[in-house]
Amino acid sequence: MKIADIILPNSLKGSIDLGLERRSYGRFKVILFLIMIAITAIPATTIAFLGYINYKNLLQKDEITQLKWQMDGSIGSIEQMVGSLKSVVQFIARKDRYTELTTGSSLEDLFDRLQRQYPSFADLGVIDEQGVQQAYYGSYDLEGTDYSGESWFSEVMEKGLHISPVYRGYRDVPHFAIAVSTYDPVIRKTWVMRATIEADTLQNFVGTIKTEATDDLFLVVSEGVLQTFSNYFGQPLTQTELEIEPGVRSYMSMAQEEFLIAIGDIAATPWYLVIIKNGYTSNSEWRSFRSELFILYVVCMVISVIVIFALVNMLTSLIRKADEIQIGMMKEAEHKDKLASIGRLASGVAHEINNPLAIINQKTGLVEDILNITPDFDHKHTVLESLKSIDNSVERCKAITHRLLGFARRTEVLYQHIDVNETIREVLKFLEKEMMYSRIELDLQLQDNLPNIYSDRLQIQQVLLNIINNAIDAIGKDGTISIISNLIAGEVRIVIQDDGSGIPEDMLSQIFEPFFTTKETGKGTGLGLSITYGLVKKLGGDITVRSNVGKGTAFTITLPVKVEKQ
Amino acid sequence: MTNNTSKKIRVLIADDEFDFASTLQTRLNLRDFEATMVSSGEEAVQAVEQQKPDVLLLDLKMPDLDGLEVLSRLKEMGAETKVIILTGHGSFEVGREGMEMGAFDYIMKPVDLNELIVKIEDAHGSR
Repeated sequence: MKIADIILPNSLKGSIDLGLERRSYGRFKVILFLIMIAITAIPATTIAFLGYINYKNLLQKDEITQLKWQMDGSIGSIEQMVGSLKSVVQFIARKDRYTELTTGSSLEDLFDRLQRQYPSFADLGVIDEQGVQQAYYGSYDLEGTDYSGESWFSEVMEKGLHISPVYRGYRDVPHFAIAVSTYDPVIRKTWVMRATIEADTLQNFVGTIKTEATDDLFLVVSEGVLQTFSNYFGQPLTQTELEIEPGVRSYMSMAQEEFLIAIGDIAATPWYLVIIKNGYTSNSEWRSFRSELFILYVVCMVISVIVIFALVNMLTSLIRKADEIQIGMMKEAEHKDKLASIGRLASGVAHEINNPLAIINQKTGLVEDILNITPDFDHKHTVLESLKSIDNSVERCKAITHRLLGFARRTEVLYQHIDVNETIREVLKFLEKEMMYSRIELDLQLQDNLPNIYSDRLQIQQVLLNIINNAIDAIGKDGTISIISNLIAGEVRIVIQDDGSGIPEDMLSQIFEPFFTTKETGKGTGLGLSITYGLVKKLGGDITVRSNVGKGTAFTITLPVKVEKQ
Repeated sequence: MTNNTSKKIRVLIADDEFDFASTLQTRLNLRDFEATMVSSGEEAVQAVEQQKPDVLLLDLKMPDLDGLEVLSRLKEMGAETKVIILTGHGSFEVGREGMEMGAFDYIMKPVDLNELIVKIEDAHGSR
């Protein structure tokens, strides 16, 4: 057994088993349904999936571009703001002021003036080349402090500028320092002006550039220590887990929310700007797209399933109907075929047997005739009786051969215009004597002006002869046969009714089947009505029977006035 | 049983089955007919022409001319012989066909002699 034999339902196989095995339409239906669903669902799903992915990528790219753009703008602003602070410090540290600032109260005056303009300045200090703070004005007494070992001091001496990270100074307030070095030509020494500024300034800077489009924006140093307040990480100087590396990254939170983190280096400062933005997944546009896509997809699928289901049902029932018609036709053809071969066989046999029968019949007849004119002798009676019995047997054989021969008659249809009533009368002529012998009355109710039908006269005669013969047989002796013809719904209807013995209900359905007979063995071949049925059907008509046991039988033959030539 | 009229009805049997035809001839003669027989269509036509029998019993199946051909030939000749067709076909169609071609009646083989005699007498009486 091949695999295909197992998978395929019988309905998809050849028609060899036709009608023998019930075709599995259920399985066929399921397979068809699944195939069609697959055909519809695969492209739809693929398109939905590609749309989803592409839109997601597009949103992501767009978001990253926007973030970069925002990043660049923000860095620019902060650099500008830091730059202006730096300029202030550079301005007050003009080259030749070292001596002036290290003596008297000029540093205090300077600070006062400065603070009036920039309140966030916390203190000022002047440091000499050796790193010793020569003058200081601020909240502490830091004059004389030696900074020479500090890394920032060497940096400022080398590069001319140092901006410190935010630190918690001695006052426990977050600060950062800007130190600039300058060369004083008067004393021929480089000196350093160091200003401490409250970290709030940075917070203000950040505040001015933070917009609603961002979820978090803060400054941080490369070690990850916060410089300004962060919505996510908290107060300044908190150590974060962030890996500080310029660029845009996406990051999954614990709650499976995607974030985009953009980090940019702010030039000439220790700071990095960090912008955190909720990923596209929290974007309302994205959400609505996703839900619309989902709804659309589900609706499409549901509609497809309904349509396909209906389609498959329709298709299956169509196929089933076609199959039924096919099976019906094959059965009919088979039946015809059977009848035809039986017919050929029967007529052959009948022809061969009929002639010897005729001879036997004549010979016994002759012997009888001679015996009748011969004087009596011993056993003459027995001889005559035997001859009679041979005659009876010949009669039986005759009946059989005649039926069989009738079965094999020409089958082609010869169409001509026929007056049905006249045809009925012609047939009756052949049966008049027999009916007379059997004392059967005839009740003819033929409708005048019946239209001529276009059909085969001899075959209609055959049909009528068969039915009327049956009626005569059914009556036996003494009875009435009624023959009614009329035009009903454009068709000619002939009813042949007898008041004979009738046919039991359980046999009615079989009477048109070949070899079905109720007559005693030897009397009927069981072919008459089968032939009749075949003829009527061939002529495009129909034949039905009604019967009441004890009351009689009525055959109704309907013939079309016009037959479509096949 | 015996016919007392001085003039016997002359019957010609045309059938190629010798046993059948000869027996039928003997039996008809026994019953006071003047029966003769031929065994082919051509012979039948000739015999009708020469003997002008009253009734011709014509078998449909014969080697040279078949019954229907003989019928049409007789019709052409304008023979007055009445024809009763003997047919082995179990069909009344052939009989009908023959009757349409001018046969008086038909009878199916095997033949019941009494029935045949009735038909012969009918045919003769219709002349």
